[in-house]
Amino acid sequence: MLELLAQSSFSGLLAGAYYALIALGLALVFGTMRVINLAHGELVLLAGYVAYGAETKLGLDPLASIPLAVAVVGLTSVIVYVLVSRIGKDRELNSLILTFGMGVIITNAVLMIWSADIHSTNVPWYHDAVILGDTLFAMQAELLFGAIGLVTVGAVWWWLEKTWYGRAVRAVASNRDAAKLMGINPRTTEVLSFAMAGLLASLAGVALYTGKVIQPSLGHNLTVKAFIITVLAGMGSVPGVLLGAVLLGIVESVTVTVASSALQELAGMVLFLVVLLVMPSGLFGRARRRG
Amino acid sequence: MKPVRLIVVLLFCYGVVPLVLGHDAYVIGLVVSALTIAGVALAWAMLGNLGGMVSFGHAAFFGVGAYASALLTMKAGWPVLPAMIAAGVVAAVASIATMPALRLKGPYFALAILAYAEIFRILATELKSVTGGAAGILSIPRLPVLLGFDLGTKLGGYVVVLTLVLLTVLGYHLIRRSPHGLALKAMHDSEDATRVIGVNATALKAMMLAVSAFFTGLMGAFNAHYINFLEPDYAFAGLWTTLAIVSAIFGGYRTLWGPMVGALAVYLIDQLVFKAVLPQGHQIILGALLGIMVLFSPGGLLPLLARLGRNPSKEAAHA
Repeated sequence: MLELLAQSSFSGLLAGAYYALIALGLALVFGTMRVINLAHGELVLLAGYVAYGAETKLGLDPLASIPLAVAVVGLTSVIVYVLVSRIGKDRELNSLILTFGMGVIITNAVLMIWSADIHSTNVPWYHDAVILGDTLFAMQAELLFGAIGLVTVGAVWWWLEKTWYGRAVRAVASNRDAAKLMGINPRTTEVLSFAMAGLLASLAGVALYTGKVIQPSLGHNLTVKAFIITVLAGMGSVPGVLLGAVLLGIVESVTVTVASSALQELAGMVLFLVVLLVMPSGLFGRARRRG
Repeated sequence: MKPVRLIVVLLFCYGVVPLVLGHDAYVIGLVVSALTIAGVALAWAMLGNLGGMVSFGHAAFFGVGAYASALLTMKAGWPVLPAMIAAGVVAAVASIATMPALRLKGPYFALAILAYAEIFRILATELKSVTGGAAGILSIPRLPVLLGFDLGTKLGGYVVVLTLVLLTVLGYHLIRRSPHGLALKAMHDSEDATRVIGVNATALKAMMLAVSAFFTGLMGAFNAHYINFLEPDYAFAGLWTTLAIVSAIFGGYRTLWGPMVGALAVYLIDQLVFKAVLPQGHQIILGALLGIMVLFSPGGLLPLLARLGRNPSKEAAHA
């Protein structure tokens, strides 16, 4: 039993690094624009399909398709930004509905181009098992993207903390008007945060394609997971996002081990509601009223 | 709406439509589905317009209503029509479980309700002894024969769902006109100010959520008896929420008739035109419609028409 728990915690940890990639993009956009991008999961999915298309049509290795995915998904993300920024009134409600509609468009476009079949990479290397310390199993893809996830989250954190543009993003997030007075163009930082979200979504999408499976209906589910993690983390904390993602990953995979895989989603949802209702500022965030 | 106009609309709905379309089982079936969605869209819009809350989880109430009515008729032996009303009540009671979410706002509320919908769906799948699990429930009793008229046919279903939707419109209208409606409207402008003058905003919101859940559950119950079959992935499908939102936004979620007009327009055009052109992925049009409406006419179709001056609808002007 202990071995099983160790294994499921380890799998959850790796899943967490990949979840963090998804959630960080959502959190960045929410931070700068106060917009929940409900098409974010679909962006991740789109990246997975770009990798699939590149592998089957161009014979590219999924890793080599990352630049292509970044281009396609980054562009799509910026299009979402352009549309959201054109919303005239009642932005909070209308942006939810607009990005929800964008998600529907992406899902159905994927469905039209690639049909509803389930796909995963055909490059066997990614699915090969690795055994760590005699007891812990993982797929190469999980390890690889777990590492990429950690490094990327670290890099984004460094970017936000140390670089001028990163600071500008944080400044706009904390006080848009004051940031303007300091000579920051909020629109530039907003575009940047959407582009960065697209980049993170691309990495997550390729991770999804190599380590798990892609399917058109998945996007919505990924958005919800990203939102759950953002709530767990509390606003404005990059390490919080990573910890929230790992927590969700571990809770899910332990649930599968001790109960059943049917209850995996249930555990995540219950965790989400408990944190939402009992700890309004999240596990790691600063105290702030919701809404 | 002026009495004369109301009579014309009623005559059209109950007289002309059945006479013209009654023989075409396919088209009347589509109209029944569109009206089912119209009912959910109206219930969604009530909550959004009067309560100021956007829900992404109305499928929860739809599914609860469907299962409640199916189980009441099959396991407790209730007649179908009382069971449908009771199912609405069960959905309203189920909404109490979601009420802690009322203190959340905006996206937090929207996604908390979505989480509830997911939880309800998983419970319906897992509680196999009660719901039959993923295999679903077969041969749910059909709608009864009433006064010599068989409601179990397509046309009968049309009459029932039309009546339910019109009752929902009536309920919406009455709530909107009541003092509660006024308080809710004031709350929309400034919740804090409304609280200061002694309105119990939380109680009002809870009431709107329960009412909205009731009407949604009623539509779910109707649908269960109309198609005679249920499974968790169908009864709790996110599509019930999606279509309702698209319809309400397209028609105009702040108007009385907008959600119904929106549902008929969106669903019928989707099924009759887009599905024929694009057999797979035709819902892409729904997404595009949502985007276009939000960007160019956030008020929806009815106010847009009113603005263009061709059809100065009174409801639209009111809203």
